[in-house]
Amino acid sequence: MERFGVGYLEERKLVKRTSGLTAGIVSLVLVLAVFYGTWWIFHDPRGLMRMYTPYVGYMYCRWWLIMMIWMVYIFDYWPFRRSWLNTAHPVLKGLVLTAVSALILVTLIKGFFEGLLGNYGLAYFNPEQLEKLPGITSFFAIEYASLAILMFAAIASWLSPAWVVAMENAPWEKLKQPVRGLTILLVTFFLSTIVYFITMHSHMGILYQPWQSFTSIAPPYWENFADTVSGNFHIAWIMCCTVVIWLVETIWQRYPFNLIKNAWARRFAMFFGIIAIALALNFFLYFAQELTWGEAVRGTRREFSPDWRWLHVGEMAIFWLVPALALSFYFDNWPRKYSMPVNVAVRTVISIVGAVLLYIVYYKTSHLFLGTQKGFSHPQQFPMIPMIWLVNIMLVHHWFMDNWPMWKMVPKTQEEIDQDHAAAAAELEAEKPTRSYGWGVGAGVVAGVAVYFVVVAILPAAYSAITIIN
Amino acid sequence: MNKSFDRRTFLKGATTGVGFGLVGVMGLYSYSPLRKAHFPNVDRKMTDIGTLKSVHVTNISETSWFENAVLMGDIKKAGGLLVNQYDYNWPPFGNGKGLGKGSYEEGIAKIKQYLPHDLEKAWSIIEQECVSVENAGGFAALLDIEELDGTKRKFLLDSGWSYKWMDECFKREGIDAMLRNKEIEALIISHEHFDHYWGLPVTLKYDPDITIYIPEGFYEEGKQYIKDSGHTGKLIEVKNGLNKIIPGLATYVFPVPIICRVFGEQSIYCNVKDKGLVSVTGCCHQGIIQFAETAYNELKYENDNFYGIYGGLHISPFDDWDPKYDDLVISLRNYDFDVIGCNHCTGLVCANKFIQAGYPVVRGTAQHRSKDTAYLGNGDTITFG
Repeated sequence: MERFGVGYLEERKLVKRTSGLTAGIVSLVLVLAVFYGTWWIFHDPRGLMRMYTPYVGYMYCRWWLIMMIWMVYIFDYWPFRRSWLNTAHPVLKGLVLTAVSALILVTLIKGFFEGLLGNYGLAYFNPEQLEKLPGITSFFAIEYASLAILMFAAIASWLSPAWVVAMENAPWEKLKQPVRGLTILLVTFFLSTIVYFITMHSHMGILYQPWQSFTSIAPPYWENFADTVSGNFHIAWIMCCTVVIWLVETIWQRYPFNLIKNAWARRFAMFFGIIAIALALNFFLYFAQELTWGEAVRGTRREFSPDWRWLHVGEMAIFWLVPALALSFYFDNWPRKYSMPVNVAVRTVISIVGAVLLYIVYYKTSHLFLGTQKGFSHPQQFPMIPMIWLVNIMLVHHWFMDNWPMWKMVPKTQEEIDQDHAAAAAELEAEKPTRSYGWGVGAGVVAGVAVYFVVVAILPAAYSAITIIN
Repeated sequence: MNKSFDRRTFLKGATTGVGFGLVGVMGLYSYSPLRKAHFPNVDRKMTDIGTLKSVHVTNISETSWFENAVLMGDIKKAGGLLVNQYDYNWPPFGNGKGLGKGSYEEGIAKIKQYLPHDLEKAWSIIEQECVSVENAGGFAALLDIEELDGTKRKFLLDSGWSYKWMDECFKREGIDAMLRNKEIEALIISHEHFDHYWGLPVTLKYDPDITIYIPEGFYEEGKQYIKDSGHTGKLIEVKNGLNKIIPGLATYVFPVPIICRVFGEQSIYCNVKDKGLVSVTGCCHQGIIQFAETAYNELKYENDNFYGIYGGLHISPFDDWDPKYDDLVISLRNYDFDVIGCNHCTGLVCANKFIQAGYPVVRGTAQHRSKDTAYLGNGDTITFG
């Protein structure tokens, strides 16, 4: 029977062509070079297509990420055959799969959002419909429509992988492709639509003058809690959800959720656990801004406005995603030699340090080479765009091109696959909770709380010791 | 081995527990009211900038451009709001290569020899080399200050954009004669944006020796333009923060990033005797509430009262909107300004929202190409004090 891509990522063996860190470092350099070249072509305000307007580029950037998640995680590379995936040259695979993802991307945005929804449902998805409003310029009509479409993408970029990672494709995991992919796509798209309406629709409704109170709830229900009427409040925690899913999937190896033996309990724990961790991260990152920049003042602009602070929560979270993925894709998810919780803890610390360094380097230098503006809070400064674009390039390289050229893809034998499964089961068995583990958790919780307050105490001084924007 | 307690397993649990503890406290504490105990109590500095008797503002021009659609069309085609303003090929820096393909060096080379004495000739070249020439207007305002002893002093805030339009406006309001007669003692540039700054040679045409205050953050092209425009007077680059100029009048520079690759804005505080503080702004990219909060934290002002506002508030300059601007409209009430003389980049959408919210917006006369009476237009005046 013809096999498609189901299990391809799990069943491929990536063999390094060099030892040590060289392969990872060279790959990162290559990825950064491709990132910069493509940034110049597509996004840079001084480059060729100049899509960083910013929302047009942002929209394509976010949806491209989701296209790849759909192709690889939801559809398991269907309709590409396993024999082709195993034997085609990585460059050819990269070109073909990227072209397909781009084709679906353009079809979705131009056909579904702008064409179908924008013409027959919600006018704000279509720039031409928006241009019929008196006084609106073509530029802002396109920006508003792009904003609405990309807000949908923010939700889909959380829920699409969530069903695969957290819900383990259940209850449709036994269906064949493309039935399984289509089912999960429809379910996650449906859920995304619901979440969109209750988190983002009001944001779009109050863009109009007067507020569209009879078609969207205005002022929105979150106004008093979030200290803003802006939908950026939701962007913050949803972006954190997106980031936490990939932390769970990569550097955390789904720990500690994988200790839960009951499948449905594990799935629900992981799905809602990701949301809980994301909310915690969301509130902490907002608090961190208050500690370093001072309390937000509603109605003001830039660094001091609550709406920007919420947006910046999502931006800070994205800075964490990049080093986490780099560690997982190019450095063999180092370390692997300790117990699972220690491995996870070490990787978490490494990725946080990487995120802080990336944050500092980005704000210190990005205006020198990305065509962005100096400063944290320029209205057109969206670090999510270059960061997600970089993640996209990494995904193309890792998912579509098997980390070529520094790695070689060799299909695992059945024996190797069985050995992997046995090793994974043994690793989990070794982490089976015991009474000592329970005591440890209790002591650790106390230590975790203490660590939190130490961080809170030193954060203002640590921040003021570093000059990020000259 | 003691099976009831295993050190290695305990450490694994502890490592996991640290994660649980961190996540738990992050979620429960970080946005709770308890967190406010960590915010330092900041004492108001109460810096005394003195007082003045009154400020009379003449709106020389608030129409920075005449058609939003033309300006935004250019910005869209050139690549968006992050494109360097000197690259647009807008007047006066044109090289004839078309939209988005300009540069300061090529543009200034074509007109430098005519600055500032022959702006008509310069403009005739600009009309050949630049795009959207007729859309250029500019922002400028005259501040007539009366000191407590009755002494009158004049300051010019910004110099607009189009040489042709600004020269007409200067003549209409008699600014040309004031400059010739050295009645205006300084030009205060709010920021480097095209519509506030590129009309500099029009001021220098009448008084090349005038003192100029620019905010910290100007790019190299901007600084070079002062030299290339024929300035012979004193240039003061104001550092970020407070800068006292005369008793009762100070500027404040905010290090804010601004669209079209501009950085930093300088705005004016006037402390009017027995009335309160007046904010005079070019575009107020830092935000009017930020400007008011800064005053509250830094300055001592009469009656601790926010008395008035004049100028652009940079809210919906292109008749665009964002929910965060609703936050501003909602929150401005907390500052209780007595008089709001907004215009320019405040935007008509916002001015109308202010009016609907019941704010004391001073209406204009919609003359000299200003489009609406919702705010102070070209040639309108307002007096504080």
